[in-house]
Formats: sequence, C-alpha cells, structure tokens
Amino acid sequence: MVLNKRATAVLFAGLLATASHVVMAAESVNFVSWGGSTQDAQKQAWADPFSKASGITVVQDGPTDYGKLKAMVESGNVQWDVVDVEADFALRAAAEGLLEPLDFNVIQRDKIDPRFVSDHGVGSFYFSFVLGYNEGKLGSGKPQDWTALFDTKTYPGKRALYKWPSPGVLELALLADGVAADKLYPLDLDRAFKKLDTIKKDIVWWGGGAQSQQLLASGEASIGQFWNGRIYALQQDGAPVGVSWKQNLVMADILVIPKGSKNKAAAMRFLANASSAKGQADFSNLTAYAPVNVDSVARLDSVLAPNLPTAYAKDQITLDFAYWAKNGPAIATRWNEWLVK
Amino acid sequence: MKMSAAPLQPNPTGSAIGAAGSASGKAAVMKQSPSLAQRWRGSSNLIPALLFLGLFFLAPLIGLLLRGVLEPVPGLGNYEQLFANSAYARVLLNTFSVAGLVTLFSLLLGFPLAWAITLVPRGWGRWILNIVLLSMWTSLLARTYSWLVLLQASGVINKALMAMGIIDQPLEMVHNLTGVVIGMSYIMIPFIVLPLQATMQAIDPMILQAGSICGASPWTNFFRVFLPLCRPGLFSGGLMVFVMSLGYYVTPALLGGAQNMMLPEFIIQQVQSFLNWGLASAGAALLIVITLVLFYFYLKLQPESPVGASNSR
Repeated sequence: MVLNKRATAVLFAGLLATASHVVMAAESVNFVSWGGSTQDAQKQAWADPFSKASGITVVQDGPTDYGKLKAMVESGNVQWDVVDVEADFALRAAAEGLLEPLDFNVIQRDKIDPRFVSDHGVGSFYFSFVLGYNEGKLGSGKPQDWTALFDTKTYPGKRALYKWPSPGVLELALLADGVAADKLYPLDLDRAFKKLDTIKKDIVWWGGGAQSQQLLASGEASIGQFWNGRIYALQQDGAPVGVSWKQNLVMADILVIPKGSKNKAAAMRFLANASSAKGQADFSNLTAYAPVNVDSVARLDSVLAPNLPTAYAKDQITLDFAYWAKNGPAIATRWNEWLVK
Repeated sequence: MKMSAAPLQPNPTGSAIGAAGSASGKAAVMKQSPSLAQRWRGSSNLIPALLFLGLFFLAPLIGLLLRGVLEPVPGLGNYEQLFANSAYARVLLNTFSVAGLVTLFSLLLGFPLAWAITLVPRGWGRWILNIVLLSMWTSLLARTYSWLVLLQASGVINKALMAMGIIDQPLEMVHNLTGVVIGMSYIMIPFIVLPLQATMQAIDPMILQAGSICGASPWTNFFRVFLPLCRPGLFSGGLMVFVMSLGYYVTPALLGGAQNMMLPEFIIQQVQSFLNWGLASAGAALLIVITLVLFYFYLKLQPESPVGASNSR
C-alpha cells in the first residue's frame, strides 16, 4: 500500500491543484483514500451521488499518509476532512487524540456491522486475507487451508505474504500451527515466529496489491496470502488462480475525520451517505470488497455476491484490530528483529 | 548541488601537476594567504542563501531532531532502543553494505563508461552522455519496475537463460540483496559518470604521453598517472553515490526482500505506520551523523577539492 501511495501522489497533487481552484466558494469536503481503482470506485459510488444530492463538492485527494495526517492535526492546519485508513490505525489514532468523535445522530450506527464501527470511525469496506494459489504451478493439488503454506513438499514454490507488521501473517501462522480461532489473542509471538521460521527462505514479501497480483499471476509465487478482491480481479482476467476461503481473515478500512477538520458537518453527512445501505452496496458491486452495512447484502450483484467475504461469514475469523492498535509497535519491533535475523 | 561543484573544480595550469605531485608542490604554487578581512570580503552576498537555508532547512531539521530526544518522553530513550536492539544494528549493517556494494559496482561500471565518453570523437561522446542523462531523467519508478520485469523468476533474463539451457532453475535475482544492488547501481551510474567524465576531460593527454615517453608501461601509466589524476572525480562521485545510497527508499523497497531492510525503510515504517516519530527521528539523526562523518573524511582525503584546500591551508 505504501508504494501505491507514492505512485499516485504526483498524479493527485496535479489533480488537486486544478480542482481546488474551482471549488473555493461552495461548501466542500476533502476526501482522502489510497488512489487507484479503489478510490475511483469510492468517487463513483459515494462522492458523485453525494455531491449531486447535497450540493457539497467532494474534492478527491490522496494518497492516505498517516504521518501527514498526524502532522496536520499537530500543526492545526487540517486539509483533510474524510480519510480512509486501516482498521488498527483508526483505533490507534483515536487513542492518540488525532480524530474527531463521530456524530451518530447523522450516521446510522445500528445499521453498521459492530465489528467495523467505533466512536471515531465507521467502516469504509471490509475484505479478507484468503489463501490464493497458482493452479498452473500446483497442478491438481488443491490447498485447503493455511497449513498448505507450511507444507512445502505437497505445495512447492515460493510463498507470497504481506510484508508489513500488521494483522494477518502472525495469525495465519498460529492457525496453521493448530491454535484454535478463539484462542488467537493475545498472540503467542514466539510460537508464530517459530512456525514462520520453517518457511522463511521460501517467502517472497509483497507490499501492495498490484505487486501481490504480479507475484501470483507470473508464478513467481505458487501460493500465498492475498486480499480477496485482488484474487477476484485476477480470476476475472482469466489467470489460472484458485482460492480457499477456509479461515479467511477479516480486515477492514475505516473512514475517519481528522481532529480540527474545517468541514466537520459536511464530512459527517458524507460518512452517513458512504456507510448507507446503498452507498456500501454500490461500492461493493464496483470492487468486490464487502459492505459494512448489514442492509447492503440484499442489494449485491448476484453474480458477484458468491465472491465476497459476506458469502463466507461462517469460515471467517475477524482480526483483532483493538489488540493490534495497542500492541502494534511492540509487535513490529519483534517482527523486524525476526526478519533481519 | 554537489554535482555542479565537481565540474567546477579549478584547474589552473599547474594543478594537474600539483594534483599528481606532492601537496608541498601545490602549496608553493598558491599565493600567500590573504588577511581575514580580505578573505571574508563579499560574504554579505551569502546572506540571502544563508537566511533561506536557515529558515527552510536548518530550522525544520532541528525541529525534527529534537523530536528524537523529546518524544514520547524527554530523554535518550529512543537512542537506547535503537542501539540496544540487535535488529536495528542489523538494519544499519544492511544499509552500509548495500551502499558500499552499490558504490563499488557503479564505480567499476561508471569508470570505463566515463573513459569511453572522453575517448570517442567529440560528437559521439555528447550522444553517449545524453543517453546517460536521459536514463537519469526517466521516472525512477518506471525504471525500477523495468528491472523487476527483467530479473524476476519468470522474467526476460531467466527465461532466455533457461531456453538456452544454461540454467534449469530460475536464478533468484530479485527480492534479495542482488536485486537491490543491481537496480541501485544502475540508477547511480550517472552520478559517477558525470563528475568523473568532467575530471577526465580536463586531463591533458600530453601528460599520459609524457609518461610513456619516460618509459612507463601502459599499466604503470594507468595506475601511477591516469588514476591519480582521476581521483577528484572518483572521490566526489563515489561519495555522492554512497551517501545517496544510504538514504534510498523506493528501489530497495521494490527490488529487495523484507530481510534486507535498510534504515530509510525503517524510518518510513516508524513515521507512517506507527506514528513513532521519536524513534524515526533518532534513526534520521543517525543517518545525518553518518553522512557528516563521511563528508569530513572526504574533505580530509581530498585536499584538491576547493573546500578542502581552504581548510588545510
């Protein structure tokens, strides 16, 4: 994700420069996300209809940069009104006092899946880490669950894993080692790293969605942990890619309002619209990410629906964002130690 | 800034000999040192530049460095954490070995290239130089991704080698140290070639001729005459590449594996993911100190540089 952010930064800076001239007068909201097809879909599903209905202009900006967000809040010159962030960061930022509390008179809290809403953030969308594999590389063997990642005899080839010390990799290692889903937290780091040690030399790390797709489609990695939307996109393109949803690990993006936002009221209305049943369903139909609004499921495209995490709720394990928000930095220290060892 | 300094290095008629010969020979050529007032004459012209640097470079830099001792609690906790943890020592080692290897390879590749540019007829030389510049101006991201296409397991190079039957397992040339060194050496070569070529251009071919007339074999001529004359270019190019490599982010992030984490990636992780600006600032301070120490040695070792000369007066 970090790399995607860089790549699109220049583009968006240019767009913003032209856009900001036009919208000086009217009420407006600066919306910040990760760029690429995700932000395009957010614009199409949320921003455009919202502007038409309310008369509030939505200026697209990006990419999301946590350091920048903190700097804005600290300096008191907050340029961003709504920001798409990762779930564990949303909780960490709230604890650090970087976010505005949301107004749940405007936003309908009871319609949002409780996993994806807090006092300072409402879900943008959710997605799953799934087991993906290249059928051409693995032949007839169909890996079933995370244990396949650690079985290099049956499933040879490189393993593609998410490179940042964030929720996902440690959990899947523990699950593969036989830890029960409800006993995952607090994470047994020693056990997780010991398990990962067994395949350390076979891991290729991916830092962003495009890179993960490239690794799997090219066969550079034969199996790995991927975002479900990226696997779906590869399958749509006809790549020989298979997926197992067993123990799919749920992660989410959250929409937040930085403390000191200059268009707070308009931002709340934007969030209400984005998290509405329609807004969430429209976005899901464009992206293959899952809606956080419980009423959206009925509105999903019938062809797409079986490919969304909502269809695999029974096999789902939701990553503990609160645990990561609290322990993330300490885990990262251990993570880095293990990586460079 | 440093790049333009290299071609500007003074080359008075005597200096070629001075550079090759001893430092005392050089001192004799120089005039008596002028008085203090004379030497600082005209320094008021520097005020705008100093003001600019002070306001927009030094002040923010100091603010940044202060965070390292003030956040999250005042004290040296961040530095303690940085040095006590073996992982960070390893990150530092990675940073140095990558920078060192990149400098070595770009010198080895850049030297013949700079020489070729100097030797070929003038028009051709300008063409080659333009190609070097053009590659420098192309988007860094595009160039780095191109290397990925070439080097990966199913990439052009591996496919070609396997088709020819030279190898039967794809070589692992990316997502590891090899990939980083290849990608970065390529990116850094222009920064070696430009100063080096300027230095070589300024060397009087008659000197080499004189060397061989005096009985030097081609090898002796190269190592004892030509190479010492190239020293200013080699030093300024090499140092620039080394320092730039220390702070490089994009290429290692794309072509390297996670186990080869370098200091810049560590800093970015702390700034962006964990908002741990104190530790990030400590890391940045370390990078700055290393750079300053290197620059000091550069001035010591390279008395021909204009700055060094006035220091060692």
